[in-house]
Amino acid sequence: MTPPSQAQAVAGMIRRPPAPPDSRINRDILSVMEGASLGYWLLLLAAVVMVHVAGGIWVYQVYKGLGIAGYVHPVFWGAYIVTFVFWVGIAHAGTLISAILYLFRAKWRNAINRSAEAMTVFAVLTAAQFLGIHVGRIWKSYFILPYPNQRGLWVNFKSPLLWDTFAISTYATISAVFFYVGLIPDLAIARDRAVGWRKLLYTVLAMGWQGKSSQWKAHSRTVLHLSGLATPLVLSVHSVVSWDFAMSIVPGWHATIFGPYFVAGAIFSGFAMVLTMMIPVRRIFGLEEYITDYHFENMSRFLLLTSIIVGYAYVSEYFTAWYSGAEAEQSAFWLRAFGPYWVSTWVMILCNAVFPQILWFKKARTHIPTLFVLSVLINIGMWFERYVIIITGLSREYDPAAWGIYTPSWPELGIVAGSFAFFCMFFLIFIKIFPVIAIAEVKELAIHEKAHMDERIHGAWAEE
Amino acid sequence: MPTLLAVFDQPVSAAEAAQRLKSRGYTDMEIYSPAAFRELEEVLDEKPSRVRLFTLIGGLTGLVTGYAMTIWMANDWPIMLGGKPFSSIPPYTIIGFELTILFGGLLTALGLFVVGGLPSMRLDPVYDARFSAEDFGIAVRCRDRDVSEIDALLRSHGAREVTLVES
Repeated sequence: MTPPSQAQAVAGMIRRPPAPPDSRINRDILSVMEGASLGYWLLLLAAVVMVHVAGGIWVYQVYKGLGIAGYVHPVFWGAYIVTFVFWVGIAHAGTLISAILYLFRAKWRNAINRSAEAMTVFAVLTAAQFLGIHVGRIWKSYFILPYPNQRGLWVNFKSPLLWDTFAISTYATISAVFFYVGLIPDLAIARDRAVGWRKLLYTVLAMGWQGKSSQWKAHSRTVLHLSGLATPLVLSVHSVVSWDFAMSIVPGWHATIFGPYFVAGAIFSGFAMVLTMMIPVRRIFGLEEYITDYHFENMSRFLLLTSIIVGYAYVSEYFTAWYSGAEAEQSAFWLRAFGPYWVSTWVMILCNAVFPQILWFKKARTHIPTLFVLSVLINIGMWFERYVIIITGLSREYDPAAWGIYTPSWPELGIVAGSFAFFCMFFLIFIKIFPVIAIAEVKELAIHEKAHMDERIHGAWAEE
Repeated sequence: MPTLLAVFDQPVSAAEAAQRLKSRGYTDMEIYSPAAFRELEEVLDEKPSRVRLFTLIGGLTGLVTGYAMTIWMANDWPIMLGGKPFSSIPPYTIIGFELTILFGGLLTALGLFVVGGLPSMRLDPVYDARFSAEDFGIAVRCRDRDVSEIDALLRSHGAREVTLVES
C-alpha cells in the first residue's frame, strides 16, 4: 500500500483499495494441493508399489512363520522392534511442536505444525503395524487387549508390553484428534474455494465450520486443553516404550536413564524427520515465504539441544556401567563399542552425537543443504541407536554359552523398507488433500502484523 | 426481521463495533472471523468456554476407569505375578494416566462439537467466503426501525460495507 500524499490525508479522501475477493495466504497455501506433476505421480507410484511388495513379503512371512526372520537364539527381538521404536520416535516431533510449543506461545511453530502433526499420525500408524508384524501370529494379536472371553482370562497389567499397548493406542488417538481439530478451520477455507469432489469432501470434513466467535472460542479452548493433555502424553509415550526394555534385567537395558534418554532421542529423530520432509516440500512448492530459514534454524537448535542430551546419555551409560562394578553390565558396554556390532555403535555415535555439533555454527544452521544432509544422517543414526540398544543387549546376555549373532534377513529388511514407503505414501497423499500449513494460524499473525503496520502509518501521518 | 451484515478489515474495529452494539442493547448478533482473536471471542461471551467442563469430566472418568479396570481384572482371576499384590497401584498408574489423557482428549473434542455447534448441516445465509479469507463480519438481527442507527454505528467503527439481508 503506497502512503497517500499529505493533501489527500488532510482532505480525508483516503480510500482503501477494494479488498481482493480472496487472501493471498489462502491462495499460496491452497495452491500446493492443486494439480500434480509427473514427478509426484511417479513418487507416489513408487511408494505404492513398495508398500505392496512389503505387503507381499509380510504375507509370505505369515505363511512360512517367523522362521524367515533372522532370529537366532537368544535374539528374538530384531529389526521389527527396532523399526517400531524408530517410528514411535519420529512421531514425537509433531506433538512436541503442536502442544509444547503452543503452551510456550512459540509462534514460529505455525509454519510447520500442520505437517509435523500429519507426520505424527502417519508415523504412529506405521509403528503400530510393527507390533502386528512382530508377533508373527497376527490372527492372535488381539490377545493383547483386555476383552471379555469365555476363558475368563484378563491381560497382565503389570507387564510393560501392556502399558505400551495403552500408551501407543492413546497416542495414536490423541494425535489424530489433535490433527483433525487443528484442520477444521482450514478445511472450511478449502471448502469455500473448492469445486467438484473436493467441495464435497471438505464440506463433510469441515462439518459446517463458519468461524463464528463462539466456534473460535471453543476451538481455542480445545486446542489449549489438548495441548495440556498431549504434553505429558508425549513425554510418557516414549518413556513407556523405553520401559519395554528397562524393566527387564538384560545388561545394557536395565537402566533408569532410559525414560529421558528415549524421549530426547525421539524428539531428536522427529525433528530430523520434519526437516528431511519439509526441506524438499518447501523447495518444490515454493513456500519460502511461509517456512523461512528462521524456522529451519529454530528446528536445528532443537536438534542441537537434543543431540547433546542423547550424547550425554551415551556417555552416562558407559559411566554407569563402569561405576556399577557389575561385570555383565561392563562387558555389555565393552562389546557394544568393540564387539561384533561395533559398526552400528559408531554409526550411532557419529550421526547422533558428533555430526550435529556443527549446528553450533550459524552458517550450518542457515545452510539448507547442510541441514538436509544432516537430518538424513540423524535419521540413519537414530535407527541404528535402537538397533544397538536392542540387538547388542540381547545377543550378549549373562551366559556366554548362550550368545548369538543376529543379522536381519531379507524379508525383515524388505518390510522395514516398506515402512518408509508406507510413511511417504501417506505424506504424499496428505500434501495434495490437506493444507500443508495451518492457514488460519498463519493468518492470525498476518492480520496482527497488518494492524500494526496500519497503526504505524497512521501514527506517522498524525505526526506530520 | 432484517439482518445487517457489516464487513471489517481489522479484528480490533470489529470487536469495538460489537462491543458498542452490545452496550446499546443489540445482542442478537454473530461475529465471523478468519482466525482466532481473543478480543472477538470475548465480546459475546465473557465466561471461559464450557469446553473445560468436558475435559474435566473426561479426564476424571478416564482416571477412575483406568484404576477400576486394572484392579477389578487382576482380582477377577487372581494370578500371582512377580510376588506383587493383585491390586498393585504403581503399574496401574500408567494405565490410569493413559486413560485420563485418552478420555480427556476425546471428551475435549466432543466439547468442541457441542459448544461450537458442530456439525451443522447448513451455513448461515449471511456467511460469506470472505470470512474464510481475511475479512471479519458482524451480522446483527434487529427490528426495522433500528436499521439506520445500527448501520451508522457500524460504519462509524470502520465497517467497509454494510448490507441489508432480509431473512
